[in-house]
Amino acid sequence: MSWHLEEDTWAAYAAGRLDPVAEASVETHVSGCPQCRNAARSTVPAAHTTAIWDAVRTSIAEPVLPAPLRLLRRLGVPAHDLVVVSAAHSLLVPWAASVGFAVVAACLVGLTGLGPADRDATFLVLAPLVPVLAVVLAYDALDPLREVGQVTPYSKLRLALLRATATLAVAAPATLAVGLVVPGMQDLAFVWLLPSLGLTTTALALLNWLRAAAAAAIVAGAWVGVVGFLRYGGNVLLLTSAPAQFAAVGLALAAGVLLLMCTSTLRLQGGHR
Amino acid sequence: MTTTARLAGAWKTFGGVPAVHPTSIELRPGVVGLLGPNGAGKTTLLRLLSTALAPSGGRIEVTGLDVTASHANRVQARRRIGYCPQEVVYPRGMTAVSFLDYIAVLKEWKNAASRAAEVRRVLDLVHLGDRGAMKVSKLSGGQRRRLAIAQALIGRPDLLILDEPTTGLDPEQRASLRGLLSGLAGTVLTSTHQTEDVSAMCDRVLVIDDGAIRFDGTVPELIATAAGRVHLGPSACAGAVQTWKTGTGLVRSVGGQPAPDSCVVDPSVEDAYLLLRSAGRTRQGVT
Repeated sequence: MSWHLEEDTWAAYAAGRLDPVAEASVETHVSGCPQCRNAARSTVPAAHTTAIWDAVRTSIAEPVLPAPLRLLRRLGVPAHDLVVVSAAHSLLVPWAASVGFAVVAACLVGLTGLGPADRDATFLVLAPLVPVLAVVLAYDALDPLREVGQVTPYSKLRLALLRATATLAVAAPATLAVGLVVPGMQDLAFVWLLPSLGLTTTALALLNWLRAAAAAAIVAGAWVGVVGFLRYGGNVLLLTSAPAQFAAVGLALAAGVLLLMCTSTLRLQGGHR
Repeated sequence: MTTTARLAGAWKTFGGVPAVHPTSIELRPGVVGLLGPNGAGKTTLLRLLSTALAPSGGRIEVTGLDVTASHANRVQARRRIGYCPQEVVYPRGMTAVSFLDYIAVLKEWKNAASRAAEVRRVLDLVHLGDRGAMKVSKLSGGQRRRLAIAQALIGRPDLLILDEPTTGLDPEQRASLRGLLSGLAGTVLTSTHQTEDVSAMCDRVLVIDDGAIRFDGTVPELIATAAGRVHLGPSACAGAVQTWKTGTGLVRSVGGQPAPDSCVVDPSVEDAYLLLRSAGRTRQGVT
């Protein structure tokens, strides 16, 4: 190199006082001149460059959140909760399963030419169980990090509820959409929501004692039994009546209280960190 | 020296088959090696101490808390435990940093800035500082193993439990891991098949076989159990547990009756381990 940058040129460059042509000239020269690169290191304080590099590393390392999670962040969901939800790769399976289950329900109800009573009973059996399936799969099945996560102090109930919320965000609208688009189902489109809330909360409570598959099987079996009994022993549309809906709310509240009693805390502890 | 963890007559059965017989041990700060063959009960013992498994009976204490007594005690103890299982299956799509960030959240690191600093610290400890942004699926087997160890180091646990941590690491990485573990302040309990790892870094060694602790002492004490029982000579010793021809052409015999012209040599951890295993099989009537 026949020339090197003077100290005042460095100072002007660092302060952003050079015009674009001079700035480009400095950068082209420095990229090919080790002596000037060394001079730059002595000109700029080390703390300043360390801070810049830290910011660069963080921006590279930080994963770009998918759109639904960015929305949750804007809505004020804490960053540590978003980490848990976004880390749950296994949620993809529950999401797919729940939407698939809803589509199967639609096919069974709308396309198989069932009579009105059988059609109502089929829908009322399947629709409330979609969220149960989604929540149970999200809680337990296919979590590759279960063994590592199991021995951490993080509240397992909180983990379950965060994942349940994320999966319900997909499962509930999917099932609702099925109810609204299938001919003749519009009357039932909303009445499954409260029974589903009761069943889902009960499944979560049972997870305190049972494996996920067993909890799901018990809840699903009981629900199929109730709907089957009403279909063949009474009127399945009793489930849409106000007392039945209140009973579903009662079940959800009772299971919710049980959940709180059986688990240590909902709160994420370790606030000192 | 304070006791970090204690098993008091703890035992575990699976379907009525004992995996760990009633065991009483105390762990204090330092590196403790857990040596034993496949199926000896190493992983079950580590999982009991990590609180991943509940014992079928007996008591387990970690940092003074009886983890068998209550859920609250278990949660409290888990704040002081780091656990690296034998195999960690990583979710697809995660980077090294996002994986550690997730585990840090599960370890109750709420604050994003301190969590990021802790993640960087443990990545640097396992020499993966420049791999943070890489997808875990793109890391080599040894790098994934080091990442698994890094997650266990989050929060500087008092009790670090590592199940076969050196599996898949090359000699240089193993030496580096030894340096890391021997420099930690708390109690490290590590299972291994590698007897050279035990002699290189462990203050204390436990030998487990058939679900029972067969030896509990220091490395020199373990080696001393084989003193005078290892020979080198032109031919193998009759009744030896193991014999092999060394690079010099002489035969090394562990145990058995000394052959003519053979001489006693200094035993190694491996020799002592082989003799302990042989004694265990004799006790069970297995040849």
